Amino acid sequence: MCPPVTLKSLFDWLFPQRRNQMCKKQIWRHRRNTETLSIKQQGLCFKTRTNAEVIIFFIHLNFIRLNFNMFVTDIRKEFYDVVVNQRVALFVSPDIDALCACKVLQALFHCDQVQYTLVPVAGWQDLGTAFMEHKEQYQYFVLINCGANVDLLETLQPEEDSVFFICDTHRPVDVVNVYNDTQIKLLIKQDDDLGVPSYDDIFRDDEEDEEGDGDDSGNESDGSAEPSGKRRRYDEDALERRIERQRARREWEARRREILFDYEQYEFHGTSAALVMFELAWVMSKDTKDMLWWSVIGVTDQWVHDKIPHMKYVTDIATLQRHVSRHNHRNEDEENSLSIDCMRITFEYDLRLVLYQHWSLYESICNSCYTSCSFKLWSINGQKKLQEFLADMGLPLKQVRQKFNSMDMSIKENLREVIEESANKFSMKDIRVQTFAVNFGFKNRFLASDVVHAAAALLENVEKDEMPTDNFIKALDCLSRSNLERLHLGIDLAKKKLKAIQQTVASCICTNLILSQGPFLYCHLLEGTPDVKLFSKPLALTLLCKYLLKAFICSTRNKRCKILPLIMAAPLDVEKGTVIVLGIPPESETSDKKNFFGRAFEKAAESTSSRTLHDHFDTSVIELKMEDRGKFLDALITLLS
Amino acid sequence: MSLLTLRRNFFNVHVITTTKIYRENCLRWYIGDLASYDFIPKKYRHLSATNKFTMFCEKAVELIRELHRMGDGQLPAFNEDGIRQVLEEMKALYEQNQTDVNEAKTEGKSELIPSIKFRHSCLLRNQRCIAAYLYDRLLRIRALRWEYGSVLPTTIRFHMCAEEMEWFNQYKKSLATYMRSIGGEEGLDITQDMKPPKSLYIEVRCLKDHGEFEIDDGTVILLKKNSQHFLPRWKCEQLIRQGVLEHVIS
Repeated sequence: MCPPVTLKSLFDWLFPQRRNQMCKKQIWRHRRNTETLSIKQQGLCFKTRTNAEVIIFFIHLNFIRLNFNMFVTDIRKEFYDVVVNQRVALFVSPDIDALCACKVLQALFHCDQVQYTLVPVAGWQDLGTAFMEHKEQYQYFVLINCGANVDLLETLQPEEDSVFFICDTHRPVDVVNVYNDTQIKLLIKQDDDLGVPSYDDIFRDDEEDEEGDGDDSGNESDGSAEPSGKRRRYDEDALERRIERQRARREWEARRREILFDYEQYEFHGTSAALVMFELAWVMSKDTKDMLWWSVIGVTDQWVHDKIPHMKYVTDIATLQRHVSRHNHRNEDEENSLSIDCMRITFEYDLRLVLYQHWSLYESICNSCYTSCSFKLWSINGQKKLQEFLADMGLPLKQVRQKFNSMDMSIKENLREVIEESANKFSMKDIRVQTFAVNFGFKNRFLASDVVHAAAALLENVEKDEMPTDNFIKALDCLSRSNLERLHLGIDLAKKKLKAIQQTVASCICTNLILSQGPFLYCHLLEGTPDVKLFSKPLALTLLCKYLLKAFICSTRNKRCKILPLIMAAPLDVEKGTVIVLGIPPESETSDKKNFFGRAFEKAAESTSSRTLHDHFDTSVIELKMEDRGKFLDALITLLS
Repeated sequence: MSLLTLRRNFFNVHVITTTKIYRENCLRWYIGDLASYDFIPKKYRHLSATNKFTMFCEKAVELIRELHRMGDGQLPAFNEDGIRQVLEEMKALYEQNQTDVNEAKTEGKSELIPSIKFRHSCLLRNQRCIAAYLYDRLLRIRALRWEYGSVLPTTIRFHMCAEEMEWFNQYKKSLATYMRSIGGEEGLDITQDMKPPKSLYIEVRCLKDHGEFEIDDGTVILLKKNSQHFLPRWKCEQLIRQGVLEHVIS
């Protein structure tokens, strides 16, 4: 792999022997310069290249690819124009953001009649099998929300001519994927703070050292036959150089391990894949309102499932708001305004109550994480507080328990402001959140979070014992406007799921099921728990986990426990005796949602040789055998303390 | 005043009815509505459900009913047995009629004439039923060519008798000759695009594992359950009709 020419490396090459002041940790090492610099030298001024060298360099500039090749800078030219005349295989992971990105990409492909095959993949094993099945027939593969955080070439072992386009939100991106310039192209925006270590810090040409070693050893072997005085001196020099080189190499490797450890320790999520795809559509001027709506759902999914910090969500919403106003602005100029059946997306500063427009207000308040935890609705005091809250707003109980659409218009008109005012009194400052809503027809009005919950419920539907790919197809369908019955079915399933979460949280808090294990909190759902089947799926379990952590923090008095992360285990398959284990980072106001459990789980499993399956694309979710639970937890405790 | 005739009722007893009633009942046979033909007492109703046929032409009507039960387009197995029974019944009736006619001619027993007439109408009825049965099957087989193409699935081929296969092959040949003769040099495949197409490529979803599928430019696509593909429309039509793929309209 030739090292990519970045501005930084260009600058460093032009001015060698100058310490890189930006990265204090990384002691930059120029490839030609094998001597380590003394501190004095580092502080000194720099030596520039001779003019001739610079001129020759600029002449050769045209032949050097200044492009990174691993991160795609012009997504249209390097991705879309490449695949538009080819047949593509799409591998999509089962989460809502991926579904939305997939829908946007499908719409683009339909426009340009790109033949593709869409295969849902639930984990690494599925991805491997799907790749094996399709590698003969396809050369171009697009991976959505999978494949960035593991060395893909090693996992899949593809042919030389297979090209992978990865649009993934999982960070950190594996360094091999980043620095591969032929087969892997990352459709990732570079202003995400990626913090990828520079090439030289991780990779080195081993040829140099081998050559040097070879010379020395060659000399040595020659020299051992008949050492003359001169040769002995030469040998000693060579020996010194070799020792020096080995020491330098060990230092470099130690540094490399440290850098990689820091880089890969925390996993988090970047910009939504749906947003990246929408921007591709926008660049090609092929964006439609449907695609915009899907990208809204993708970003909202990241917020609902707590994958991105609030600031990032707000920034992404601002970007989308610009697009929304651009789309809406088109129709305002015309004399005849849009027909009521057309799709309209509006920016809303709406309540944080889940599904409140498709449910009754009371139910929604009881089952939303934010309000339930603020009121502590699992306790009697909490119920009383809720009654006070409703009384404070002047909403009669009868109205509030009715279906939202049947509430009196006079109540519905100023509902948001009234609730915000009262919520402020009850110390709920963020009851309103910026989001979008879609309107088409007289009856159909959905908030983005409604659709996210509906689609997630459909995706992880355990009611009918269907295959995961069936559920994937159903969830994919519900995102189209023509499948409203499916969306409504999803909303009903989501209501059941939220109620189940609420009840489980209440029972866990009341029976003190959350134990503090030292460096983290731990909760294990027993098999007999009602609706425990729902929680054998990662998204549902994540929601439960976050809800539970928030509730625990609100209900506990122990200050130390409030900053601990939470690990949750739920039964996955009773016959095989496996549990699904999930870890989430501690809850805080300004958390950046960086999760270290991925690496922690791996190390713990290795050290205790527990039977685990790290199949999910999110490394913080694993499957574990029941019997190994105890030693696994002990290993984790020792690891994290 | 109407003539008196003889007929057998449900209890297998000869009863005397008027010709008018007899003709009405024959008409009911033509309509094929056995249930309204005669009053069958409740406790004997189960008998008519079994194969215990007590009237003539019942087996023939059973053949028709079987075909009618299988909805439009489906081909049930060729009821070799049923046809054989009907033909036997026809043979028995014919022989009885032969002897009766000879008797009537030689001995001048004119009272046998109504029963001769009756048996003759039964024979005609049976012939009409069998002809209708065979013809309807042929029509369905013809429709199969348009639906499935020249190669029929093995399950359907088992349902056809040898003569029907022969007929099918002949039909295929004539259709092929016709298609070659129209549309210039290479001929025109009129079995494609039965409905006017809206787009070149369509999105299809695979409903069952079908294995590998080759499209025009030689590339092979693996059709696995729940995978979605965006393929040229003309290649997918066959599979959509067979139920392997489903057109996804979004």
